[in-house]
Amino acid sequence: MEKCQFCGKPATVHMTQVINNKTTVIRMCNECAAKHGLFDKEGLPFAMLSGLGEALFSGMKQSLSANGLICSKCGCTPMSFKETGRLGCPNCYKDLKLLIDGIIESSQKGTIHKGKYSKEGTLTATMDPTNSFTDTSIQKPIRKPSTEEKLNELQEMLDAAVKAEQYEEAARLRDEIKILKGSGGIS
Amino acid sequence: MNDFAKKLFQDSKLAKETIPVVVSSRIRLARNLADFKFVKYACKGDLHTVAEKCEKVLASCPIFTKSTILNMGDLLDYEKLALVERHLCSQEFIMDTNESKLFFTDDHLTSIMINEEDHLRMQVFRPDLNFKTMFDKINAIDDHVSENLNIAFDNRYGFLTACPTNVGTGMRASVMLHLPALVITKQIGNLILAVQKLGFVVRGLFGEGSEAQGNFFQISNQQTLGFSEVDILSRLTQIIRSIIEYELNAREIVKKERIIWLYDNIGRALGILRGCYCLTSIDAINCLSLMMLAVDLGYLPNTLRGDLHQVMMKIQSSHIQVLENKVLNSSERDVKRAELLREFFVTVPNLKFD
Ligand SMILES: [Zn+2]
Ligand SMILES: [Zn+2]
Repeated sequence: MEKCQFCGKPATVHMTQVINNKTTVIRMCNECAAKHGLFDKEGLPFAMLSGLGEALFSGMKQSLSANGLICSKCGCTPMSFKETGRLGCPNCYKDLKLLIDGIIESSQKGTIHKGKYSKEGTLTATMDPTNSFTDTSIQKPIRKPSTEEKLNELQEMLDAAVKAEQYEEAARLRDEIKILKGSGGIS
Repeated sequence: MNDFAKKLFQDSKLAKETIPVVVSSRIRLARNLADFKFVKYACKGDLHTVAEKCEKVLASCPIFTKSTILNMGDLLDYEKLALVERHLCSQEFIMDTNESKLFFTDDHLTSIMINEEDHLRMQVFRPDLNFKTMFDKINAIDDHVSENLNIAFDNRYGFLTACPTNVGTGMRASVMLHLPALVITKQIGNLILAVQKLGFVVRGLFGEGSEAQGNFFQISNQQTLGFSEVDILSRLTQIIRSIIEYELNAREIVKKERIIWLYDNIGRALGILRGCYCLTSIDAINCLSLMMLAVDLGYLPNTLRGDLHQVMMKIQSSHIQVLENKVLNSSERDVKRAELLREFFVTVPNLKFD
């Protein structure tokens, strides 16, 4: 009988994951599977539980060169990611890029977002004609720029206004920046 | 019944409109507010602000006019678990209920977790396979949310999530299938491997013990980055359609080659459900799975289909405790479960084998 790879008890749950043609088999006992959110204590599969790879694979593989990185906004490091399996804040995607790209390579097939709001514009459907899901009309609303993007834009406008000696405009922009800075920011 | 029980047991559309093989489908989107740390790293004050902001925006969303909002911290343990059993929220959501809130509509077809591992986990359900309708619905909620909140998004990575395995679309779509004939004919193992090779995840128990788990399997997408929502949903739909076909073919094979075995198993299961005085949830689910098969094969009236799903919900451990309004140990639950099942199956007509 095969053993649970987490605790060594007899394995009752077998899972196979195929990522980029690499196959990984996981063997677990009921308790460890439950711990990883695969099903509830009494083994009822009826409850739909959240995504599989999430709990199991996050952070298992990561490039060594990612050591020494730290997120300037939240202090998250590759070590803390390894411990919690979670990132600290949206800015981690910038400051821990090396780590993130490593995880993405081992867990995702794609590298660039192609879904909603993506640069590719309207979503196109490429599926077989017998499929009823042939919708190409999913609208792409204009995304509201983030506070940071807006600030950058305003700062550029301000610099331009100062350069052009349009002081009234510059004062207005400076006020706008002040208000925006007061409304958000990671605390 | 107390208020919580009423909300939990109010008629779920999910149970009423079921079709053979497909138990239910779900789409879930993960979103985060750009200006706050992710949940695991945020301080209590931040989580409180996030919850307040999200609640305000969601309350103004038309879909939530008839809905319930719960402060998860106010609930008893078995109440929280009952919400998981009803798939209104995830197991992880109830582990730490600090500043977490749950929205769900009266029809139980839409629910939103605030402060799960992402600030927002929005989900829609259906009792059948219709991702187009579901996606339109969840996309409209998402539009409302992104118009009113500053959502973390990056042109290359897409929607930013606490775990990079959800980044991109932030979307997880899944279908719960009832596949008794593929288990009986031992084709399920190969099928699961084939589905996994296509980049989708199958959760279910196989090897030994698989037949004891009610033959339910959940299939979901693994990849969230590099594919559009429509691509993911249409691929999943294709896969599910072929699995349904395999299952229906396998049922024909079972009927042809193992009819006595089938009659015997279905007949005994009904006997157990009518006569039991103490039944574990696994045994109950296993028997109920055979009753669902009996309905699909025409041995029991079609009108029972929705009722069977509702019974299956109701006999789960935490549902029983909500119903009884107190904590019960496992043998007390087994007794109460048997009582509920006897009550229901006494009214079920005899099997009509062809
Ligand atoms: Zn184990
Ligand atoms: Zn960070």
